[in-house]
Amino acid sequence: MAIGQLPQQTELSGNIVLLCRFLRHHGFRLGPTEASDALTALSLIPISNPRMIQQGLRVVLSRNKDQYERFVDLYNEFWERMKRDNQSKRKLNDMHESSRKKIGQEPEPSLQMLKKWLYSEGETQEEVAGYSRMEVLSKKDFNKMDEDELRLIMRLIQKMVRLLTHQQSRLRKATKLMHTLDVKRTVRLGMRRTGDIQRFIFSEPKNKRLKILLLCDVSKSMELYSRFFIYLIYAFQQSYDKITTHVFSTAMHDVSKLLANYDFGQAFELIAERIPHWSGGTRIGQCFHQFLMTNPRSMDKKTLVMILSDGWDTGEPALLKESMSIIHKSCRKVIWLNPLAGHPNYRPEVTGIQTALPYIDHMVAAHNLESLRQVLVGLRGSFRSYKAKAKIKGISSA
Amino acid sequence: MKKPSIVHIQQMLKDQAYISDDTIGMSIYLAMQLSKPLLVEGPAGVGKTEIAKVMAKALNTRLIRLQCYEGLDSTHAIYEWNYQHQLLYLKMSENEQSALEELESHIFSDKFLLQRPLLEAITQKKPPVLLIDEIDRADEEFESFLLEVLSDWQITIPELGTIKATSVPYIILTGNRTRELSEALRRRCLYLWIDYPEFEKELSIVKTKVPQIDTKLGAQVCRFMQQLRELNLDKTPGISETIDWAFALANMHLSHLDKEVVESTLGVVLKDWEDIRHAKDSLSELLEKTGVSSRIL
Repeated sequence: MAIGQLPQQTELSGNIVLLCRFLRHHGFRLGPTEASDALTALSLIPISNPRMIQQGLRVVLSRNKDQYERFVDLYNEFWERMKRDNQSKRKLNDMHESSRKKIGQEPEPSLQMLKKWLYSEGETQEEVAGYSRMEVLSKKDFNKMDEDELRLIMRLIQKMVRLLTHQQSRLRKATKLMHTLDVKRTVRLGMRRTGDIQRFIFSEPKNKRLKILLLCDVSKSMELYSRFFIYLIYAFQQSYDKITTHVFSTAMHDVSKLLANYDFGQAFELIAERIPHWSGGTRIGQCFHQFLMTNPRSMDKKTLVMILSDGWDTGEPALLKESMSIIHKSCRKVIWLNPLAGHPNYRPEVTGIQTALPYIDHMVAAHNLESLRQVLVGLRGSFRSYKAKAKIKGISSA
Repeated sequence: MKKPSIVHIQQMLKDQAYISDDTIGMSIYLAMQLSKPLLVEGPAGVGKTEIAKVMAKALNTRLIRLQCYEGLDSTHAIYEWNYQHQLLYLKMSENEQSALEELESHIFSDKFLLQRPLLEAITQKKPPVLLIDEIDRADEEFESFLLEVLSDWQITIPELGTIKATSVPYIILTGNRTRELSEALRRRCLYLWIDYPEFEKELSIVKTKVPQIDTKLGAQVCRFMQQLRELNLDKTPGISETIDWAFALANMHLSHLDKEVVESTLGVVLKDWEDIRHAKDSLSELLEKTGVSSRIL
């Protein structure tokens, strides 16, 4: 009987390895450890019950929610394909190779655009052309965004946010790093306990963490860029916890929670669905005024206000002036990210910008990654420590 | 100890009044058999923490709980030297003139070691259930501490050496996905995702937890909750909210839902004023879908 069982078992274990390979091609990160775990698990499950086998393998082989949910479909697909071709191994391999080639040949359009945008450092003219193609892309394409790519932007933004928001305070805190001896605390601790020094205490400068308030324009004039800014604000919101994001056109909407709690496609759809004024007119002054009225405590001296807008305003300039002056007074810095400012012939002649200009600390172009790096460089003179400045230099030259 | 079979575990969960589907039983079974930690993720209030509690009860063993929070470090999670105690000991032995090495080996011994949950869990005689709750709230550094414990069942203390586990605890990790966990941690765990329950499952949970509830009311409550979760809420209510609500309504001796009752008790289910406002706005629609006609006076 033992001899009779042997080939069956090897076939099963071979199939499990194949399954692992199949899953690996679908984004599961599985190594030999997982495969051996799966085999051990199989030996523990009553083999006669296929549902149980599926459940067991699902628990062992998936690593996160996404994989957990996709597992059942992939599992069924795998067995169907196995059934379909008799020479399973070879055919499965062929299938994967061809599918891999296919992916290599026709990458997803949105992904390519994003990559292009991320790494574009050439002429502004080209980038503007890129935007109009961006606009043609439908919502659906955005949903298809590769997670790895999004993660790449995240990591980049994360780096930036950390550099922007972590400031050295003059206060010091205790640390385990033995760089600077804190004489005061060392002596004080000694006095409190036995009178002689028992333990050295070291200190380092305390980090201040700034809050960020993002105000993003999604009006008609920004339509070319706004979808694209959604990537940006999504990455911002995901990479830092002390950040609030509002979008505005004719009214203000807080979208922080939507951006923080959902995956990209969902967040994008929900925002578009919930915000009735999407791609409407622009009344920056009125929006800011309304914002200040409803959120009087949203800003303090630890808040960095970032406004993403082109400055085309159809509202009252006086109202904008008043609101901007209040914002300027109550926050630490006002940074205006302007997608138009990247153009070599750009002059801040629009009424909105003209009115707001005196209250802006930094006006920076935001049309590609390079320009975002400039945001950091522009800021480093005004509020970075010496050490961090060197770090930023590294990033900006990279 | 002999490890229980899968049928056994499902029976055990049932005995503890934990209504589960096969997947949960299977995950627990495999986690116990393979001696691997089980990472349970899912929205708030679907009974993630409850799994560990039920397991401890059913296995008749200790539940050691480590609640994670931002800033949790090894001194709170693994071990700490009892500094004051050591100091007193040194003062007391000042006159004894013992050798320095001897003294040192003495003050860094088990006697002066304060065990925190992780160390405590691996040094028990009978394997306990170790619940590491809301792991995603802890910092990433803490995850690295955990890795040694989770894969090798040992803890290294520089002064003492490596402490091997006397028994391998059953580890349950829970998370709400507030932060993405590291790949290294995920690799060491089995994974289980628990979602909001289907109507039938929720109803049977309510019936088990609140036996005094009117059958019709119970069904209405569950159907209402199912509909409520369809709304776009900031804090979607979980099963614990359903149970709370069912309990409250049952104690009010109601036999069916109506609009007034729902309006006045909505605070039991929703904990955010914007959510409450949103739910109240669409209350009639919700009730209609639930099959409750507004009371006609």
